[in-house]
Amino acid sequence: MSALWQILRLMLRDQRAAMVRGAALAVLVLAMGVALLGLSGWFITAAAAAGLAGVGATFDVFRPSAMVRFLALGRAAARYGERLATHDATLRALESLRLRLLTGHLAAPWQKLIRLRGAEALNRLTADVDALDGLPLRLALPLLAGGATQLLAFAALWMLTGWQVAVWVMAVSVAGGALVLWHMARHTLRPSRRAEAAAQAFRTRLIDMIRARDDLAVYGHLEAQQVAVRSAEARRHEWRLGLDRTDRRAGAVLAGLSALVAGGTLWLGLTMAQDGRLTPAIAALGVFAALALAETLMPLRRAVADLGRMADAARRIKGGLVSPLPTLATVTGTGGLQVSTLRLARPGESLSLTAPLSFAVAPGETVALTGPSGAGKSTVLLALAGLHPPLSGQIMLAGRPLAEWDDPSLRALLTLVPQRSVLMAGTVAEALRLAAPEATGDQMWQALEATALADTIRARGGLEMRLGSRGTGLSGGEARRLVLARALLRRPAILLLDEPTEGLDPATATHVLNGIRAHLPQAAILLASHRDAETDQALRKVTVL
Amino acid sequence: MPSARRNDMLELAMAPQARRLQIAAAVSVLAALIWPGQAVLVARALGRLLDGVPVAPLPVAAGFVALGLIRAALGLWADRLSQQAAESVITGLRNQIIAAEAARAYETAFGGAGAVAALAGEKLATLAPWLLRYGPARARVMVTPLVLLTLSFSLSWAAGLILLISGPLIPVFMALVGMAAKDASARQLAGIGSLNDLLVERLSALADIRLLGAGRQVADGFAAEATNLRQRSMAVLRLAFLSSTVLELFAAIGVAMMAVYVGFSLLGEVSFGTWGGPLTPAQGIFLLLLAPEFYQPLRDLAAAWHDRAATDALRDELGLWQAAATPARPGAGARVTRLSGPADLRLTGCRLPSGAALPEIAISAGEAVALVGPSGAGKTSTLRLMAGLVPAAPGMVRVAGGQLLDDAAADGWRARIGWMPQAVHFLGTSFGASLRMGREGDLATAMKAAAAGHLTPRLTARPGETGGGLSGGEARRLSLARALLAAPDVILADEPTADLDAETAHAVVDGLLAARDRGVTLVIATHDPALAARMDRIIRIGNPA
Repeated sequence: MSALWQILRLMLRDQRAAMVRGAALAVLVLAMGVALLGLSGWFITAAAAAGLAGVGATFDVFRPSAMVRFLALGRAAARYGERLATHDATLRALESLRLRLLTGHLAAPWQKLIRLRGAEALNRLTADVDALDGLPLRLALPLLAGGATQLLAFAALWMLTGWQVAVWVMAVSVAGGALVLWHMARHTLRPSRRAEAAAQAFRTRLIDMIRARDDLAVYGHLEAQQVAVRSAEARRHEWRLGLDRTDRRAGAVLAGLSALVAGGTLWLGLTMAQDGRLTPAIAALGVFAALALAETLMPLRRAVADLGRMADAARRIKGGLVSPLPTLATVTGTGGLQVSTLRLARPGESLSLTAPLSFAVAPGETVALTGPSGAGKSTVLLALAGLHPPLSGQIMLAGRPLAEWDDPSLRALLTLVPQRSVLMAGTVAEALRLAAPEATGDQMWQALEATALADTIRARGGLEMRLGSRGTGLSGGEARRLVLARALLRRPAILLLDEPTEGLDPATATHVLNGIRAHLPQAAILLASHRDAETDQALRKVTVL
Repeated sequence: MPSARRNDMLELAMAPQARRLQIAAAVSVLAALIWPGQAVLVARALGRLLDGVPVAPLPVAAGFVALGLIRAALGLWADRLSQQAAESVITGLRNQIIAAEAARAYETAFGGAGAVAALAGEKLATLAPWLLRYGPARARVMVTPLVLLTLSFSLSWAAGLILLISGPLIPVFMALVGMAAKDASARQLAGIGSLNDLLVERLSALADIRLLGAGRQVADGFAAEATNLRQRSMAVLRLAFLSSTVLELFAAIGVAMMAVYVGFSLLGEVSFGTWGGPLTPAQGIFLLLLAPEFYQPLRDLAAAWHDRAATDALRDELGLWQAAATPARPGAGARVTRLSGPADLRLTGCRLPSGAALPEIAISAGEAVALVGPSGAGKTSTLRLMAGLVPAAPGMVRVAGGQLLDDAAADGWRARIGWMPQAVHFLGTSFGASLRMGREGDLATAMKAAAAGHLTPRLTARPGETGGGLSGGEARRLSLARALLAAPDVILADEPTADLDAETAHAVVDGLLAARDRGVTLVIATHDPALAARMDRIIRIGNPA
């Protein structure tokens, strides 16, 4: 619940003016509705009384009937304004929540980043955030507006009909409403958390089933996976039925409560009018107002129906919210990289993976990092890119210690091309512009020439060639070269390449490595490699053991 | 087209629930018809008060409350029926989608896993409010206003006329607004799907985005998309609110006119509109109490209107999904006993998805064959044919001593296959469970045979879906271990050494050749001439140039 409160505050702060406007209009709508019906009831009863007494000619009909018309039109207008204001503000607040979450993912620690599962992260960003739209729209604003209207009605009824009716209406509505709220909150939190968890399991399992369809079929596990997807849905179905039961019972209790409020007011009004304490017209006003006040109770049903789902969603996304990233590269420097007595461990381990390493790469130099598979070459590159904290030792980049580089500055200074990269659906130009948004067509072609990919791309439609989901449409080697071209477009001062030419034949590999050097004559290039084609290019080799 | 609509997926799924939904609608009509009874009680009591005739307050109030409770109970019953029906329809449709997606041989043109999950998940969920509110509201619109109109006419033709004129105008306006709303909701639904697909891609490529320092750019792109979607949502909402505002306006004007007419009549200022004698106070109050309830079903229908618009849009999406049919994969992907017979296979007259004819391919038991050919020539498609993952028609695939690879044989044949796709999709479970996929077998031995023994401690970890946390080589070793686990006698491997360092490539090839030495039939699609040369035979696919 505290997460819910925190997110609500965030949303309200985000859209303060619009939310305040919406809340004020919501109160106006409810109050005008109560006033309209109360006034109408008073008006006709008073008119009847005047007619019966034969003093109809002196009865002021114009002010009440004008007021009735004003309330009728004003209420409709206020309702439209309220809905627009609150929905727009809520959608904006959700949008900014989503953006904060995505930014949170983008700024997450490296180890967390590479373990992220798309389907789950998508759930956070879509289903969870969507679940929160009810937080202002169905929970906070209706509760607030209903409460405020009850207070206004309490004051008005006290003045007009005396304390008995006012207290009865207020006490039964507020106490009954609060009781229903409390009961629902108690009985829906857990089931809706379960229902939502099952719905997300359904989604994740369905996405897994579709993505791994072939593998599952070959290994005879497709049917089992299908059963797993169905069972998640069956679980959600069961929990949902339970929630529906609580929901409709609350609805029935609230409807009964409204009848009780109006019935009690009727009893009080009739009794007091016959005692001569109230005129029949004022008694009618009380009854009609009590009937109209049912509108403050009914939204409670929807408010609490989703409470559990919202609380759960809020809890899940709370941790992922961050303020927007710093955007500008502020730190600069010149020079290559120097490493002294660097020791590294695998993530989550404290044992040193490597013997202490010391080496330097000057601008314009190419140095190869060699050593058997699993020795930690990739880890060294990650550490240099600021993505893996070293156990000890020092890393100097362009004359400054690694710690002085903030993330945007570091990304502007160096580029790491890891062993695996994911391309996204879109055109080749879009893939390249991810690295350099301002790159011109010429620059892109130069980068593609450097990685010996230009002819292939030209033959298949040029920069507008479309890649499928995850870059399908290119072979492994072609995708590799596109990733390298993308790195070149950043024109980094320090280029870290992890097995850059795997999957390429030796002639192409040499061509690509020459192209990279020609494209970035001043870059300090460090490559982790096994291949002779790669290490032959290097000025010297550093062995990781 | 009504006939097409009668047979669409949604109508078919709703058919078994038709009776429940009809009863729910009838009960909700019955509940709405209780109000005139309550109104009579209030009106008569107030009328007698005005006439100075004594009233017993308690019986009147008790009667009012009792009727209110009956009304609440009927509402409860109607809600129960429609909630249960709605859940059954939704779960039924989800199961249908699961089954169809499991059976596909190819990706659907409808969209990626994200789009299908969005359809089966949150989009289908929009059916619940429609089934819950729209049907009963429509039934009430058909009956309640007519009943209340008759009652009003019986007391005063002028009062009846007020309702008659303001009532039918409402549906006309709503229909106009509703038509526009449907179009807008369709655009919004499509927007949700494409935003999801975009997000899934971005989330899978987060690591690359981070390395390229493109976080800001991606976040900005997403923000623009999200803003676009919000604007589309607001367009839908604005129309929906407009339609309900029109309605509330007419309802409010109707109530106000009724109050004014009744008031003036009772004052004696207006003397037309009744059948004979003047309107009594009780009749006047009764008429005023009926007026809001006359519009209530229309307001309910308007509130459910954009549920209807959303459902129409969903209906179209379901239609698109259904229209994007793909051929079904032979067999169910179930765990069955192995097909007996030698591990050989023969492809005759098969075609690739591009339409190109495949040469006749015959591979005998224990043979090791390389499929080579340029990218896109159909090597992967050929392997999928061999595994029975796509229907062979118009050609034939015969396996295990000449048995036709059809529905009956496919699962049994696949039980003999070790399958290494180009890219592994790990499921949302642990690596270990992802490798096992429910099969028996000695995982430790398989890991050792795949030179992945050192990865055994990581089997309990949960992976990212492209194997985040594993290098490309490690993921490939696990893929081989998975293929070797159940002692297959056919191995189909797609580019098993692409993008691997030399050492891993060596380990993978050794693992495959060791299997061949045990008599396993080996089919490898590869670009690598060195690997191809180590096979017994090379089969060229596509243009030999």
